[in-house]
Amino acid sequence: MQQDTPLAGIRVVEHAAGVAGAWAGRLLAAMGAEVIMVEPPTLCPLRKEAPLFANGESALFEYVAAGKRSVVCDLETAVGRDVLAALLDTAQILIDDTPLQQRPQWGLDREGVAARHPDLVHLSVLPFGASGPKAGWTASEINLIHAGGEGYLLPNGLSAHLFPDRPPLKIAGHFAELQGGVAAALSALSALWFGTGQFVDASVQDANVAVGAFALQRYGDGSIEHRHTRSFRYGGVIECRDGYVELLTLEERQWQGLVHLMDDPEWARDEELNDPVTRSERGDAINAAIRAWAREHDVEELVARAQKLGVPMARYNTPEQILTGGHETARGTFQDVDVPGVGEVKIQAAPFRFSEAPLALSAAAPAPGADQDLVTSGAAAASRAGAAARTATA
Amino acid sequence: MTPRSGKPLSGIRIADFTVHAAGPFCTHMLSQLGAECIKIESAQRLDIFRKPHAVYGRAGPATFDQVASNKLSVRLNLKHPEGVALARRLVAASDVAAESFRAGVMERLGLGYADLCQVKPDIVMTSVSSSGQTGPDSHFAGYAPLFGAWGGLGHLTGYEDGPPVEMRHVMDHSVGMNAALATVAALHRRRRTGEGSHVDIAAREVASSLAGDALTAASAGVRMHRMGNADPQRAPHGLYASRQHDRWLSIAVSSDDEWAALTGIIGKPELASDPRYANAAARVAARDEVDAVVANWAAFVEADEAAEMLQEAGIAAHVSWRAEDIARDPHLAERGAVVSVSETDGGHRMAVGFPARFSGTDAPGLDRGTPGLGEHEEYVYGEILGLGRADRARLVEDRVIY
Repeated sequence: MQQDTPLAGIRVVEHAAGVAGAWAGRLLAAMGAEVIMVEPPTLCPLRKEAPLFANGESALFEYVAAGKRSVVCDLETAVGRDVLAALLDTAQILIDDTPLQQRPQWGLDREGVAARHPDLVHLSVLPFGASGPKAGWTASEINLIHAGGEGYLLPNGLSAHLFPDRPPLKIAGHFAELQGGVAAALSALSALWFGTGQFVDASVQDANVAVGAFALQRYGDGSIEHRHTRSFRYGGVIECRDGYVELLTLEERQWQGLVHLMDDPEWARDEELNDPVTRSERGDAINAAIRAWAREHDVEELVARAQKLGVPMARYNTPEQILTGGHETARGTFQDVDVPGVGEVKIQAAPFRFSEAPLALSAAAPAPGADQDLVTSGAAAASRAGAAARTATA
Repeated sequence: MTPRSGKPLSGIRIADFTVHAAGPFCTHMLSQLGAECIKIESAQRLDIFRKPHAVYGRAGPATFDQVASNKLSVRLNLKHPEGVALARRLVAASDVAAESFRAGVMERLGLGYADLCQVKPDIVMTSVSSSGQTGPDSHFAGYAPLFGAWGGLGHLTGYEDGPPVEMRHVMDHSVGMNAALATVAALHRRRRTGEGSHVDIAAREVASSLAGDALTAASAGVRMHRMGNADPQRAPHGLYASRQHDRWLSIAVSSDDEWAALTGIIGKPELASDPRYANAAARVAARDEVDAVVANWAAFVEADEAAEMLQEAGIAAHVSWRAEDIARDPHLAERGAVVSVSETDGGHRMAVGFPARFSGTDAPGLDRGTPGLGEHEEYVYGEILGLGRADRARLVEDRVIY
């Protein structure tokens, strides 16, 4: 383990079946915490979650479990619960996403954990949290992106323009659940910083309401957002001859740069367009002109010239373009990880770093029970000692 | 350990140079967690999120209040040498310095990481930028939709037969949330080693981290593409129009038991044993038929009632919520996820609270509304830095505090 990683020396026990809880653990692992997944005999369901590699193994699991350890433990049995308790005796953080009604049976209820492990940060990660009238509700990613408010506002821009009658759209992958994971990890580390063992109740919905904060603020201001109207008045997703770019000019100088980028067309010389409010009002006409112009150009050419002119424009990168991108390569954004049965894959350790060097994942995702010796040797002894101590004090 | 009071990060002080959305959201989260956050602004160059941008189609700056709430505000002219000196004193009295300028700007101001380490050797400096502090694109300016485009989230989001989709403020705020997490991690490292660090958060890397499962698959040759609301392993899965205008019901069925329960609710119990839909793989293969069956039922239901009914049967369902639903929801209010903020003028407005509850600390949240520009100079310059009234008046006169 790297000793200078931010979370070196912190042990986390993760009991997670969903992406949010697993991502909380994964971020802590990337920052140097030792994260031990406790899997049921049926194994973590994320091991089967799409997208899948050609051999049928889960790429999602490889991504969210890289750098973790695995212990298989049957919480239906007293022995299994003792093993978990022994592990928790050695940990600072427990991450658990077990549905509330199931927790007591598995020894994961708030009161029981607090009684046995008073110094532990017990991080609960649930779709709607562990308290409140909807604490018992279940949800998949698509429900959560809509429970947080952003789903209703998607798509906007070009997609909404082209397909106004289609249902709202989710963001690709597990955006909402990953927000829940980040917020949960932040909460656990903050509780640990405070230094008191406690129950931390994280909610994926809360996290999405938080990152969607501006919709609520605008509602308070009397401005109702809708996917059909939440488009930039001009710019946005622009189709070029060979792909798409994103264009957004917020500042006056950026608009001027855009006009130069388009080789100062006749229509843009209208002096009234120097007023941003007039531009906004005539956004449809401006956008029609931009779209017609862009279709005559290639992405690479436009993006390169836009950069020189200070016009914020970006290529809509495909996964392949990101994985082999010059910037990403220079920064070491992706780490080569050898995955048994798949070969070498590229995994991003984390979206932040603590020096010029990127964080490094310590290993590929673990095979089931790869670290069983953690509970069959030392921890098992600790388990027996811990159980004896608890019996003695009971 | 002896119980003590305070919010989780009480006692931490942040010198906050961030502007726009992503950086301020980072310090906004830390502020809600109890850190004392001093927002450094100048009348000469206001945070551009204090002012309106017509391209959004609105007259006012509707995006500032949420992230500025709870923060202390001081004016400081960083174009003035004495302003830079004062900024360093502020950093010397802080645990964290946060900024979100383009890479290189803080160095040019004399406030780079090396400069800050001279006045505060264990400072945690958090830099939020579009493309990171290093690499050939590190000078790129960007906004949320560009982060999403660079990072792949935009390409992968959209209808299967449509264009990519631009990410909006949720993208900025995801960056801020990750930055807040990394900042607290860096504080843990400081506590253990006595060393500070320069935390580098690249917004485009936050976007790619949110598409990390797809990128991991793509790196092994799996072709990833836009797929609308479809799920490769679940059907029914999508948004279904209810009988109410623009009121959509999201439903995701994962297991055979859930499917069986759903067939009962929609009045087609015979489909539970229909071999065409016997398992998830079969339902995914017959996705269009399965979706049509659910859509035909949904078209006659009241969305909120249907969601409750589905939840009672253990099926993942939720109405596609508008801001109005969030504002009125008793669940979110009870959790403190949505709160009311009191402004200095006595008014109240709704805001988003911290997304978790803590049993062992005071609750995170918002104690104050939006600060006026320079509202807290007496406390910050007077009490924290010990500048006398006459000194401060002189600095105001010289447009250092400006």
